[in-house]
Amino acid sequence: MRDKEEMERDGGFSLRRPSTSLLATLLCNRLPSPNSTMSQDQMGSMAGLKPQEVAFWLGKAVEWGQTESPDTQRDTCLHLGPLRAFLQLLLTHIHTQSSTTETMRTIPFVGQFLGRLCWDPYVTADAGSRSLLLQSLWSLYSEEPHNAVERKANQWIRNLLCQLATEEDSATHMLVKHMGLPPKEYSVKVLRKMVLLLVEEVGESCSSLADPNPRCSCDSVLAASVACVPLVTCPETAPLIGALLQRPVTCDKAALSQDFLDAVSSAYSRKCVSLEAQAVVSLWCHNLASLEGAVMSLLDSVLSNPASTLHNLENTITHSLLPKACSQQSSIFLIVNDIFRSMLVQVEGNQTLLSLVHTFTLCFLRELAALQPQECVSLKAFFPHTPQSLLAPLLTHPSEMAQEVWPEHLAWITASLQRLTEEEEEEEGNRGQCGVFEAWFLLVQCADWLEVASQLLVSARLQACGPLLWLLTFYHHPTNRGHHRIQQLVAAREVWDHLRSLFLLSAPPLPADRLQSLAGLMSAVPQQPSLDSLLVVSLLVNFAVFSHNPLSGAREIVRMVVQQSGLVREAVCVLDVVELRLNRERASSSLTDRVKPRTRALRGTLTHMAQHDTHTLTAQHDTDTQPLWQRWDTHTAVPGCSTNQTL
Amino acid sequence: MEAVVKNLERTTELLAVSQTEIVRRWDKQTLDRAFQWAQYCEHVYTRFHANPTVRDILEKQLQVTNESLRTTFQGYTDITFSDLSQCQHLLLMGLLSNAAVPSSVIKLLFDTSCSRTTGGKYKDATGHCTELIEVKSARKVLSAIYLKRSTSFPGPDADVIGMTLMEILDILLSPATGGSKVGLAEKLLDNILQTCGENENFSGVVAAALLSRKNNKTAATTKMASEGVSFDFILDWLQQHHSLLQHMCSTLPIGLLMDLYQQSVRFRVTYRDILKQWGSQLEYDIGEGEWVQMYTTDGVSFKTLSDHYRSLLGACPSTKEDVERELTELKVADGDFDVGGLSVWGDLLSELNKV
Repeated sequence: MRDKEEMERDGGFSLRRPSTSLLATLLCNRLPSPNSTMSQDQMGSMAGLKPQEVAFWLGKAVEWGQTESPDTQRDTCLHLGPLRAFLQLLLTHIHTQSSTTETMRTIPFVGQFLGRLCWDPYVTADAGSRSLLLQSLWSLYSEEPHNAVERKANQWIRNLLCQLATEEDSATHMLVKHMGLPPKEYSVKVLRKMVLLLVEEVGESCSSLADPNPRCSCDSVLAASVACVPLVTCPETAPLIGALLQRPVTCDKAALSQDFLDAVSSAYSRKCVSLEAQAVVSLWCHNLASLEGAVMSLLDSVLSNPASTLHNLENTITHSLLPKACSQQSSIFLIVNDIFRSMLVQVEGNQTLLSLVHTFTLCFLRELAALQPQECVSLKAFFPHTPQSLLAPLLTHPSEMAQEVWPEHLAWITASLQRLTEEEEEEEGNRGQCGVFEAWFLLVQCADWLEVASQLLVSARLQACGPLLWLLTFYHHPTNRGHHRIQQLVAAREVWDHLRSLFLLSAPPLPADRLQSLAGLMSAVPQQPSLDSLLVVSLLVNFAVFSHNPLSGAREIVRMVVQQSGLVREAVCVLDVVELRLNRERASSSLTDRVKPRTRALRGTLTHMAQHDTHTLTAQHDTDTQPLWQRWDTHTAVPGCSTNQTL
Repeated sequence: MEAVVKNLERTTELLAVSQTEIVRRWDKQTLDRAFQWAQYCEHVYTRFHANPTVRDILEKQLQVTNESLRTTFQGYTDITFSDLSQCQHLLLMGLLSNAAVPSSVIKLLFDTSCSRTTGGKYKDATGHCTELIEVKSARKVLSAIYLKRSTSFPGPDADVIGMTLMEILDILLSPATGGSKVGLAEKLLDNILQTCGENENFSGVVAAALLSRKNNKTAATTKMASEGVSFDFILDWLQQHHSLLQHMCSTLPIGLLMDLYQQSVRFRVTYRDILKQWGSQLEYDIGEGEWVQMYTTDGVSFKTLSDHYRSLLGACPSTKEDVERELTELKVADGDFDVGGLSVWGDLLSELNKV
């Protein structure tokens, strides 16, 4: 009973690791057991900490400290998440108390509890738990102790920390010293060596599917994955985490623990773990939630800052490793694109999102091309719902084709799309617009062809403009809701006529009426099917960049039209896209030489406008009262959008 | 050199001060600087430990500083040259056990907000202890993962020390680093033996050192010359410390002994001598009808001995005949009887021929 008296005197702090009986005594005397009734005062003072919960965790701490069996170790690993939540509650509670004396009165078990956990390597290996433990200890430390309990607590905390940091095997320490190794360096080296040995072993695939071997180590791989739950953020163990993720699944016993996958996934999304690209791909194959998390995080980073990211969009996308993963696993590609589809349908279908989908596809195709032939799967596996006749023509990049055949190629694409829309309109009501949607989605993915169409329209002859204008109109108005397509086509033609006559002029003055009606076509007329102003801006910028009229004239037209419509940001965006495409395609030098100064000058004009008219920067793109996504019947099931798709 | 000597003196003083009341005024900047100086001393150790001339100068300086510090600070513990490799550790121990250190400084050492990064020569002390706890905990967690090879001999700790030992010997014995320092190398091994004794740890480390060449094939191709030297040096040294050698051969898994056997002609001779010694130590117990260790405890049983021989015959076909001839000669020397219980070699041969 001496121990108990000492405990009472110390206020629950003891320098040594508490003996089980000691803690049990303490629990009996100090702790509300789940069955005992607590006084109002106690209930009030433990606000936020439920007695049952407290009893549960104290029981766990005792249980874990008592034995070092694989079962208790496993139990610790599987409870780390809830333990962190409890430690957070505890920490919050300590913060609400005025002093350590006060804390000791309301939660007398706290010292013993924290002390026990500090000696559990499974708890201290986990970054989150370790941080909460140390924070809790420090919040029990009194800078100016007022009484013996607080002084004792301070001393106990300092001693505990000292022991935790410097505890070591003395025989080994002597050897290490003889070798001239600093203890910390030695410790890290041993850890790396252990990791190396385990990585080698984990990498050996088991062939028990072919030859059932009762002694295969696959079940210990499951156990190892559980043990690695606390280690997912430790830099030295990262190779082991990667090896576990990449272990070939050749044995039905070789599954990884879900807790392990969740822990890695959470650490990856918080950027707390450095995994090799291939390990990340494996993680996504194992864990759908982490893949969705990665896609959402990419969308978030791109959409939250559209202005600054268009130029480094490609870097952001490549850096996300998603295109690489998509090229290796068609199932990942399908899931990523499902998320893109639903974003296009549900969230505002803005230019940035369209650019994201387009650039993503470019990066994906590049990764796909870089794969070894034997690793490739047929394209159909990646685009199972897309009308197959359109697949190859659209996925072929314009740069892979002679420029002379572009018009013909685009006319063919347009004809196919027209046929598709007509067929589906006839059948409307039967099966929605799956085919058209998929075709439109593919067009978004391969938007380089739209850029080409816009460029070709600058110099197109009257007879050739029809299919090109149809393609642009279809891209901006994919559904024929209200059967406005014909009117929209007429409007698009009108815009093109205006632009053509304006940009054919070789000298000022600019015809005011044409400018006026062009700006008029871009401004909103509520309740009327108007043309998407982005289509107009896109055509305008393409004319300004690619036409042969004097630069000063082009700048003036752009300045006047954009100013009247207030679409500076959109114009800059289109200019970015044009520039990016030219860079990407490494267009012929004669074209680049002519066009580069024009784009630079136009950018100057637009930037100048943006600076002098800040409100245009924030001006809403409200010409189109009905954003793109709403034009899709959201009740119609979007093909491939099923959320229960699994890898 | 003068600057190094001066810096060393300052750091030794710093270590002494860290254990006094003066630390009350320490803050983040002081702490970081103290750790940087400690890292500097560790660097000095690494740089000069194999250079007898410089080492001598530095050791003399340490003696002088120790003397003066002993008079200034009560209970001062001398800093030796080999302590320099542990400077950060010594500083940390001093600070953690010094109640005068402000809690804000200790809090910095146990900071959890910074994430760990590798690289950077001198890093500050923030989170130093948190990292120690993290690495130590991770080691404990991993050591509980029972896969096949991770439990193999020698363990990762002996392996790291063994590799380091080999690296040190390579430097000491390599002609490229200013002539062979066999004396220093012998002193090192003797010192370890003296302080650590012939315990399990040390024989494991020696085995790991010998085996490190096999495991580290890339190093083997680049440092061919000096590594053979270090390997042979350890074997020679072991010959002079026969009981450690015996202990190593009796505790090392036979498979690893076979690796060494195949790797080194010199080890073959040594190992076969040990086996012969073990055999000659066995006496025939007529009551039990078997060969037993009667007067010694550092040998092995008849069964273990035959296991060693069996592996030997299987592992290296080129020496198979030699070994068999040797055993036959020993049997002949014992009278060449084909009756059990008269010659341990005769019985070993018939045991080996059974399979």
